[in-house]
Amino acid sequence: MSHILVQDLAVTYPLFNRARSSLDTQTAPLDAGEDFGGTQRLVRDKRGYIKGVRALDGVSFEVEQGERIGLVGANGSGKTTLLQVLAGIYPPEEGFVTVEGRTTSLVNINLGMRSEATGNQNITLRGLASGRKRSEVEARRAEIAAFAGLGEFIDLPVDTYSAGMRMRLNFAIATAFEPDVLILDEWLSAGDAKFRKAASERMSTFVGRAGILVLASHSASLLQANCTRGLWLHDGRVRMDAPIDDVLAAYEASGKSQTAAQE
Amino acid sequence: MNIQTRRYDLHAASGVLGFVKDLWAGLAMVELWRTFAWDEIQQRYRRSMLGVSWIILSFLMFVGGVSFFFSALSGRELESFIVYVALGYAAFIFISGNFIDGCQVFTSSHVWIKALSLPYSVHVYRSLFRSLLIFALQMVVVIPLMIWSGWVPGLLTLLVVPTLVLYVVNAVAVQYLLGLISARYEDVGHLVTSITRLLIFVTPILWVREGLDGARAFAADLNPLTHYVEIFRAPLLGEMPRMTSWAVVIGVTFAIWLAAALCAAVFRRRLPYWL
Repeated sequence: MSHILVQDLAVTYPLFNRARSSLDTQTAPLDAGEDFGGTQRLVRDKRGYIKGVRALDGVSFEVEQGERIGLVGANGSGKTTLLQVLAGIYPPEEGFVTVEGRTTSLVNINLGMRSEATGNQNITLRGLASGRKRSEVEARRAEIAAFAGLGEFIDLPVDTYSAGMRMRLNFAIATAFEPDVLILDEWLSAGDAKFRKAASERMSTFVGRAGILVLASHSASLLQANCTRGLWLHDGRVRMDAPIDDVLAAYEASGKSQTAAQE
Repeated sequence: MNIQTRRYDLHAASGVLGFVKDLWAGLAMVELWRTFAWDEIQQRYRRSMLGVSWIILSFLMFVGGVSFFFSALSGRELESFIVYVALGYAAFIFISGNFIDGCQVFTSSHVWIKALSLPYSVHVYRSLFRSLLIFALQMVVVIPLMIWSGWVPGLLTLLVVPTLVLYVVNAVAVQYLLGLISARYEDVGHLVTSITRLLIFVTPILWVREGLDGARAFAADLNPLTHYVEIFRAPLLGEMPRMTSWAVVIGVTFAIWLAAALCAAVFRRRLPYWL
């Protein structure tokens, strides 16, 4: 059983070195382009100092079991933050999130690994960190190593890996322990064609067991292959929530009209 | 962990209850922090030929050197002074290590805190377990030294058990508290490191408090670390620690736990935003 409910979610990142904007705070929001929401999302105190950045604002949606959600949106639209809130890493500032089912998240390829430790040691650490017993980790070790396809690199420090190798190991570990809710950030597209195919197959068997997939990506083909429903984030708000093909079409159309407007 | 529903909102897992749950849930992940700590120790010495033996070696070098130069000033015989320094220094390294490690306990784990929703206390236990391993390795040297100087275990030796329990209990709160504060205010980390450097001189490790006159002995007593070291060292030297020392240690323990619980209750869930 897996289920996600997000209600009126808002998240603000605090800024501690109290930046003073070099733009005039009164006119800056008016000067900024209509589609660049960066300026409106800065939270200011009474004197105009920037206190923080509002990453998400009034986000609500519900995900039923077996649904595969694709998150789209420009850089800085709040995709990664939303994934981190769903994973329980950042607590919401307003609203709430409930997540039913065992959750695994792969939000940043460089996080959640000890880069001085070997691939094998990281398998142990991540397995234990996701609440598995040592024996369960050992039972899966060979399978993880095989899926990651690292050969003897599995006994070398993760430092020596390429970005693609790190990602393969990360993905192999995360999916080996059969989570109910899988949260993936966009770096999955860093894999080569062969790995993306293997990853897609694994994700579809996983969703076949009525799990939930939340995948953020800039790759339309990856989203089309793996997702059923699309969620378009814009300036920390949900702009569109519809079947993936419709969302991708609208998102691409807006991208084109924006480029056209600028030219 | 079975299938479960988690709710995240502004108030979830905050408050003192959230802190207690965090401590408890982290404790249950014993395999994780044990593996973590052991990996880290091995990693630190991975490229040295002597490896983990460096912990023992550098400890011996300090104790040997200090005993040689300071024994004349202490008024004790060399043999008993070596044991005095070794015991005091081992205790001091453990305690002051908690201050320094505590300041980095969360900042150095940001890679994990921002990737997985683990109980934050896991990082505290990992850091503490690492200090305990180092402490145990040093005791491997200290115990033969004690036997060589003619030490015979007695009933007083058993007092080490409550002392070690107090050390561990203190360490959890100290590291959690300092970890939270220095994640928010980086200056605290620098301040604590600077003070800790000074502490070795104002704590009776290289010198003996009993040899001092009234005013200086009183000044030494104002330093809580004097009492923390005393309750460990005195029983192993065959002396009963003063009641003052027990009272100070227990009092300070309560104060630190109170501060840690209050601080964690209010600010614990802000931690990922601070890193």
